[in-house]
Amino acid sequence: MSKRWLELSVGLMIVAGLAALVALALQVSGGNLSRNAENYTITALFQNAAGLGSKARVTMAGVTIGEVSAVGIDPNTLMAKVHMKINSQVDYLSIDSSASILTAGLLGEKYVGLTVGAEDDVLVDGDVIEDTQSALVLEELISQFLLNLGTNK
Amino acid sequence: MATDGIISIRNVSFHRGDRAIFKNLNCTIAAGKITAIMGPSGTGKTTLLRLIGGQLQPDEGQVLLFGENIARLNRKQLNQLRARMGVLFQSGALFTDLSVFENVAFPLREHMNLSADELYNRVLLKLEDVGLRGARNLMPAQLSGGMARRVALARAVAMDPEMILYDEPFAGQDPIAMAVLQRLIKSLNSQMQLTSVLVSHDIAEACAIADEVILLGEGRVLAHDTPDALYASPDPAVKQFIHGEADGVIPFHFSAPPLQEELRGQS
Amino acid sequence: MATIITHITDLGAALLSKLAQIGKALLMLLQAIIVKPKASSLPRLMQQLYVVGVQSLIIMLVSALFIGMVLGLQGYTLLAAYGSEQAVGQMVALTLVRELSPVVAALLFAGRAGSALTAEIGLMKATEQLASLEMFGVDPLHRIVAPRFWAGMISLPLLVAIFSLVGIYGGHLVAVDWLGVYSGSYWGNMQQAVDFNEDVLNGMIKALVFAFLISWIALYQGYTCIPTSQGISAATTRTVVYSSLAILGFDFILTALMFGGAV
Repeated sequence: MSKRWLELSVGLMIVAGLAALVALALQVSGGNLSRNAENYTITALFQNAAGLGSKARVTMAGVTIGEVSAVGIDPNTLMAKVHMKINSQVDYLSIDSSASILTAGLLGEKYVGLTVGAEDDVLVDGDVIEDTQSALVLEELISQFLLNLGTNK
Repeated sequence: MATDGIISIRNVSFHRGDRAIFKNLNCTIAAGKITAIMGPSGTGKTTLLRLIGGQLQPDEGQVLLFGENIARLNRKQLNQLRARMGVLFQSGALFTDLSVFENVAFPLREHMNLSADELYNRVLLKLEDVGLRGARNLMPAQLSGGMARRVALARAVAMDPEMILYDEPFAGQDPIAMAVLQRLIKSLNSQMQLTSVLVSHDIAEACAIADEVILLGEGRVLAHDTPDALYASPDPAVKQFIHGEADGVIPFHFSAPPLQEELRGQS
Repeated sequence: MATIITHITDLGAALLSKLAQIGKALLMLLQAIIVKPKASSLPRLMQQLYVVGVQSLIIMLVSALFIGMVLGLQGYTLLAAYGSEQAVGQMVALTLVRELSPVVAALLFAGRAGSALTAEIGLMKATEQLASLEMFGVDPLHRIVAPRFWAGMISLPLLVAIFSLVGIYGGHLVAVDWLGVYSGSYWGNMQQAVDFNEDVLNGMIKALVFAFLISWIALYQGYTCIPTSQGISAATTRTVVYSSLAILGFDFILTALMFGGAV
């Protein structure tokens, strides 16, 4: 086994391995390499944020524009305060935009959907969304359904 | 510069687990001569060789090599000392991934800064000394046992050492190979003014070339004399070994209760 | 009562001796790798990269292909029951990248390269080549053990990346070409679900940890084996067994650390 073949094959293996890694980065994982994209943070207050966790998607018209960075309780209003990091390129969210907590699929993960309003001024870093729609909790749905069933009898 | 004791073993004790292999062993190996260390199996001949080479450390006592206590040396000093001696291992211990040429060139590449031509010539000369110059491009796997040993010998003398240690050089060799090795050991010793220490239990072969014989037994030196004196010795332990007697100081039977007690169906 | 105490003491003694062994193994490793890198050791590293890495490629490629294909098939069958067969791409990719590639590749590596390393060094010990090196003033730990260790550390992560990619293509072969999943959905769903830092890099970290464990165990077992044919065979077996247990155990720990808290 000649030295030439040895060096060649080792080199090929290393190149193949690195190429595989690059392919995994681009083709397989959609190239979310830019962790340090410019973001700004806005918050929204919800009556009920059940099932919403950090890293959940924030979408507008079905397109992902950011992610939830933290979920906590606002001590003043005793409502759920959700912090969201929005991509800086999305700078057209009007100040009367609304936020809803939606479910992906029937039993899927929770995410936040934003709908733009009619105002001219836009949300900037630190602003709060006031028009919110809470998460649908299955138990409340069921009890409401049973209640309706009872009253309609 | 010949000192009268190139290797000096002083009050050396060595244990392996519970077994004491040496107890207060004392001997001196003279420079410029061929000394054979002999004894029955298991008396620690190879262990003694390892102690001399610094691969093992004695539990008690000192091993002096070229006047230096090996236990006191750091790695670098030990390696410098080792560069002055060559070792021929029982199996030859050639590096299986290197050719014959590369095996002999190995110590030269490690320790000396020779030009490519100088290295080439030196390797060829050493191989010529052992009669294997034509085999220089073979791989160790292609060599017979005897040839492998000769290449290992060429490698051991590549650096022109002052001393060579041979670990059972005649073991398992055919008569021709044995004769070749005997001739080589003798000629190298006189040609290069070496001190040769060989460990063996081939009495005839070793005694034929040795100037002095050290007979080990029971963890100590039983006799240290010329081969002729050993052949004539009246000591029963020496006699049993030298003349190859099946029973004597070292009994034939492994210790056991009397036979009648162990047979079955006896009243 | 006395026998119970004896058993407990024996257990304690066995544990202590195992700990002492790990300590000795660590010392051996540190002595081997803590050394100034020299240009002259590069050819030896290349040689070992070939023996350890390149010669493992075939088994990796074939295994990855078949595992990917099986994942595609099983995934499709399972997901079709929920009408979600278009999600098979992300299932194959996540399973491979997070778990199967590092673990299966490591287990194969331990069996193929690990056992070969142990046997080779054990044989060098039995034929006194290691002692020979010492007598020539060359440290066998630097000359023999170190290049093999680095070869293992470099090879396995590369092989794991290749394994993942080939497996994903294997899944594509079955799901898209044979079972009719849309190619766009296969890759699209996958790209949405697989995060480079979370999934791919974590898988590579696992590969590095496994590479370290396998190389270390294989080299230690070879270096300290009893230099007889029986001793070498026992050491080789130990390498495969200990490596496999270490891989699976550390896989659990790493998975819990990396993926346990998320989402």
